[in-house]
Amino acid sequence: MKEHKGVRINKLPSGVPGLDEILGGGLPEFSFNIVAGAPGCGKTTLAHQFIFANATPDRPALYFTVLGEPALKMLRYQQQYSFFDAEKLNNAVHFINLSKALVDGGLQGVLKEISKQVEKSDARIVVVDSFRSVLRSEQHDGREMAAQVFVQELALLLTSAEATTFLIGEYGESEMEDNPVFTVADGLFWLYQQVERNSVVRKLQIMKLRGQMSVPGLHTFRITDSGLQAFSRTLGLMARKPKAAIKKRLSTGIATLDEMMGGGIPQGDSLLIAGPSGTGKSLLATQFIAAGIRVGEPGIVAVFEERPEEYAGRAATFGLDLETPLEKGNLEVIYLRPLDLSVDEMMQEILDAIERTGAKRLVIDSLAGFELALAPGFRIDFRESLYRMIFALTGKGITVLSTLEMVESFTELLFSTYAISFLTDDIVRMRYVEIDGQLRKILMVVKMRGGAHSSDIREYRITSDGIDIGDCLRDYTKLITGIPTRTKGPQH
Amino acid sequence: MNRNGINPKIRDLAQRLLSLESTAENLSKANTFAALMVSEKLRRPLSTLAGTAGFRSLLMRALTLAKREAPVLDGVQVKEDGSLEGLDGEETEAGAVLIAHLVGLLETFIGEPLTLRLLNDIWPDLSGVDMSSKGKESI
Repeated sequence: MKEHKGVRINKLPSGVPGLDEILGGGLPEFSFNIVAGAPGCGKTTLAHQFIFANATPDRPALYFTVLGEPALKMLRYQQQYSFFDAEKLNNAVHFINLSKALVDGGLQGVLKEISKQVEKSDARIVVVDSFRSVLRSEQHDGREMAAQVFVQELALLLTSAEATTFLIGEYGESEMEDNPVFTVADGLFWLYQQVERNSVVRKLQIMKLRGQMSVPGLHTFRITDSGLQAFSRTLGLMARKPKAAIKKRLSTGIATLDEMMGGGIPQGDSLLIAGPSGTGKSLLATQFIAAGIRVGEPGIVAVFEERPEEYAGRAATFGLDLETPLEKGNLEVIYLRPLDLSVDEMMQEILDAIERTGAKRLVIDSLAGFELALAPGFRIDFRESLYRMIFALTGKGITVLSTLEMVESFTELLFSTYAISFLTDDIVRMRYVEIDGQLRKILMVVKMRGGAHSSDIREYRITSDGIDIGDCLRDYTKLITGIPTRTKGPQH
Repeated sequence: MNRNGINPKIRDLAQRLLSLESTAENLSKANTFAALMVSEKLRRPLSTLAGTAGFRSLLMRALTLAKREAPVLDGVQVKEDGSLEGLDGEETEAGAVLIAHLVGLLETFIGEPLTLRLLNDIWPDLSGVDMSSKGKESI
């Protein structure tokens, strides 16, 4: 391997969960960065998270405010976030208003004041909010050159002072071209707030980052009481090992179904349980989770159509104790229904739960509910996102069971309405059939990527002990149409 | 503090700030002098934090509120740079009212912990202070 002889660039934590991974490990020390975007998209909060994560009395941060949000109001609102540490105020974090310097001395007045304050405090982090306000004072009547010189001088000053800098500005994308600020900057972070039908979706893009590889593209983020949280579009799994050839089989909790599948579900597979409402898809998924718990394999259930507290209660009616593992922490039920969810965000929730529980099994109940919980803009990419998510999870050795609601047709057998069969390794299809004036249920293993499986079409019943799979219905044909014909015994 | 009056603990805190600055030999003028000193000492860090205009607007609001309680302050004005003008020996108690309103406004905007942090930076001897009207410890 070639030895790296270049200067080593320290990486500072951004203070924003998920962002360091997008940045390629953190923010390069001494970098001169622009945070751009429309008002209200989280620029100031991002800068605050950075300063509170990094500033110390020995390495203080200076936060310069200019003709924007009054500093007292900014403090009033920012202290609502959990990352805000009042102990650091005037100790490690200093807020300084530059309005007078700008009004009295213009750009040079600002430069002089920043220089004075940085020298006085030996600041290692500098934020100017809003930098756009500073430049606006000169960007008129052919004074663009003055602004360009100012940006250049400021970059030199702060880099020489060994400061890592954030300049915050309300910029539109159309202003990207020929803007000296963007040319000088080492890092350019663009925050977006997009309205899609009734949903608001926040996204960020690292348009430029000198010195290290960041993850390209648009990444979703959310602003909560803890500030910004970013969700990498690589789903946090870019650097992890690819799926290994694991041969272990996991029990579904239904011995006959395990048999039909050739010994259970291969670990790390993605299994789709498809069928119409009431056929027992969720019950099968619950039995799969309970079977894992019994053999010491923690699990996660992501539900979209019922509340977590109802989930364990419903399992108990089938004799499955999920309360105990929930209390012990080797089972988590994730309930997400914010209506403007992104797949990346869901993935982060699952990854966090895997980290907490050491889960080996994951149930997504159901894909239709999951899709409905997504913001409209994300639904367009649902198949692609689902593919990335399932690929990433199974690559970690997690066995994923997803349920899929199907609208039943009595003339044909669809494997799924999403055309996502190719995403899954294994498919079990459940459906209704009409036999002897009764609506009965059948299931079949449609696909097992890992090997041979039964071709039986078996009848099953839902009992108080769960799914009870009976014999193969050999006396009938056209079972998969839902209206079979008896081949032996009395004809219909 | 609310819009109708000053929390007694903030009033006590203001009085304590005045006593820390009260070095004048003429006792009748002690409070006035101290109020000027407290205001001046607050002016520099708050102007740094919020800008000269920011501090000036805060002090002007405090003065407006204080004048309702102490009409003797009618002649007092806030200069362009945020310093006080016209506060003399006649307004013995009024100075404390003005400072109480100034501290009260700060507490309203940025909360007790940050306000106390700012005050402690200026007056390190100020300790054991509780601005909450429900607090157990009196000043």
